[in-house]
Amino acid sequence: MKNTRIGLFAAALLCVAPGLTWAQQKKPAAEEKAPAEGAAGEGAAGEGAEGEGEGGEGIPGDELPEGLPGGEGLGDICQIDPAACPKLDMDKEAEKDLKEQIYAVQQIFALRVRRFEVNPYWGVTLNDQFVSHPGPGIALNYYITNVLAVGLNGQYYRPFNVDSEFNAQVRRSARVGVPLTEYDWAAALNFTYVPAYGKFAGFQDFIFHYDAYVVGGVGAISTRPIPVIDPDNRNFEFEPKLAFNAGIGLRIFFNRWFAAVLEVRDYVFNDKLENTACGRNNVDCGSQLPASELQDKDTWFGESRLTNNVQAQIGFSIFLPFSFEYRLPK
Amino acid sequence: MGATTMKTRNGARRLLCGLAATFALLAATEKSAEAQEILLTGPLAGAPAVRKLRLYREGRFEVAPAISFTLLDEYQRTILFGARLNYNFTDWLALGVWGGFGGVKIPTALSDEIQGVNERRGCRDGNGNITRLDTDCRLTAVNMGPDFKDQLGSLDWVAAPQVTAVPFRGKLALFQSIYVDTDLYFFLGPAFVGLSERKECDPGSGTDCSTPDAFKKESRVAIAPTFGLGFAFYVNKWNAVGFEWRGLPYSWNTGGFDTKGGGKDKEFPDNRISADDQQFRFNQMLTISYNLYFPQNYRVSE
Repeated sequence: MKNTRIGLFAAALLCVAPGLTWAQQKKPAAEEKAPAEGAAGEGAAGEGAEGEGEGGEGIPGDELPEGLPGGEGLGDICQIDPAACPKLDMDKEAEKDLKEQIYAVQQIFALRVRRFEVNPYWGVTLNDQFVSHPGPGIALNYYITNVLAVGLNGQYYRPFNVDSEFNAQVRRSARVGVPLTEYDWAAALNFTYVPAYGKFAGFQDFIFHYDAYVVGGVGAISTRPIPVIDPDNRNFEFEPKLAFNAGIGLRIFFNRWFAAVLEVRDYVFNDKLENTACGRNNVDCGSQLPASELQDKDTWFGESRLTNNVQAQIGFSIFLPFSFEYRLPK
Repeated sequence: MGATTMKTRNGARRLLCGLAATFALLAATEKSAEAQEILLTGPLAGAPAVRKLRLYREGRFEVAPAISFTLLDEYQRTILFGARLNYNFTDWLALGVWGGFGGVKIPTALSDEIQGVNERRGCRDGNGNITRLDTDCRLTAVNMGPDFKDQLGSLDWVAAPQVTAVPFRGKLALFQSIYVDTDLYFFLGPAFVGLSERKECDPGSGTDCSTPDAFKKESRVAIAPTFGLGFAFYVNKWNAVGFEWRGLPYSWNTGGFDTKGGGKDKEFPDNRISADDQQFRFNQMLTISYNLYFPQNYRVSE
């Protein structure tokens, strides 16, 4: 118990100790002035910047190169081996341009490596004028490196499909039925690559960080036709289809573990559309056909078409664990 | 029953405790990960967020040849060729105009499908006059002309004076090797939109809507708000590549159909083509531009 107390006291002491080194308190005015006086060679022993002999410990002033700081440091080299004594013209050196290396982005604000990303989102259809397919979704990613992640995502559509009024108008005005499709769910295995990151200054007042990524993967999407050609006899079931996806995204960080995400992703799959004709001989649906033939499920599907479901996904990301350590100091 | 209630209460209490602990944990952890808070008390306290900012816009004219692509079109896509001209009073505020000419018009697959059905029906002869009177031909006589693509509403030109605000300036690192200065801007203004739509007709005033002449188009100018946002990626001191999204909502008759004007609340067809058939559309487009800034040198902030 006693050891525990001592241990805790030592730990507390360690926590406090760095605080003592933070502050570089301003030196008194007299102290600040002293080196300047020394530089002018007014007898500040050992601190003479010009090394005029008064400060040098045993080094004759005329043996030192012009402009070399006296005292310790280079003066020691000259004392040990005069041949190796650097001959620098400090005035010329001071006039040279500085080639200071400044990194455009010195330290990535939020490291992703070995962190999980949980990304709930809401998807909105961008390219289907006939049926919109909004819905909630979630993506889970694990960053193997700082720029590469593997993950899963899934979205639920079923109660949110909206058949546009535009379809009814086309059917009424042109008497043309356009096959329509609604979605149930989608899931995919994805790889994410983050090639771009940066920072923005807002109103020249605050800074926020962002990154841009590309994502691609493979999975499944469950769809079915909405019966519009012969709705009295046809009733379709949802069927999953193989789906590939590719997209780009933008992530804006609010802190090191929370970000807003905007993504545009294209889910590509081979969709089975409703047959625009009826019966085994594909005749006009207005023709008199026996009910058994109209209700034959084998006649309900028409052509298959490669379909692009482009959607915007708006959500937020939480990175776990919340904190991380940089490998190198800033 | 009592035991069940007790179990439920215990469960709820545990859930509440769990939630409280989770939030406490979140709050505690957040503290250690908060960004750059030390700057508030460190040597940079009170310093501006950005020093030596390259003022790409302040006091400069922007001339940006642009190409715009309409999105989510039902019957016809349009590619507009034009330009944006801006004068940047400050680095964050500009006044200018964007304009474009609808040089390329591409019918969608739906238009092809409708015209395909129209041809198969063969309701009209070579001169466009109705020759068949079966159900399909009779019911579509007002809506389907000789060639469906000729009756589509088209976007001919747009001119939009606009105010641009540039609240966000920053940089983008690509593959950790290419660094480009970037800004994100928003714009707003009125737009004058030149449209061609199917001309009005009314059997009541002696213009039959099913004759070939009734499917011809006429021009009008719609006035609409326009707004959007864009990115500029600066290639050098006076060149940038721009990407922009624009919303341009207004009402128009895209298909040349009689869809409204009759029945209750004018929600049903009335065998006339009129302003009632112009429906509200949230028109959108994407623009790619190459921006040139004059004078060619920029100022750098303190």
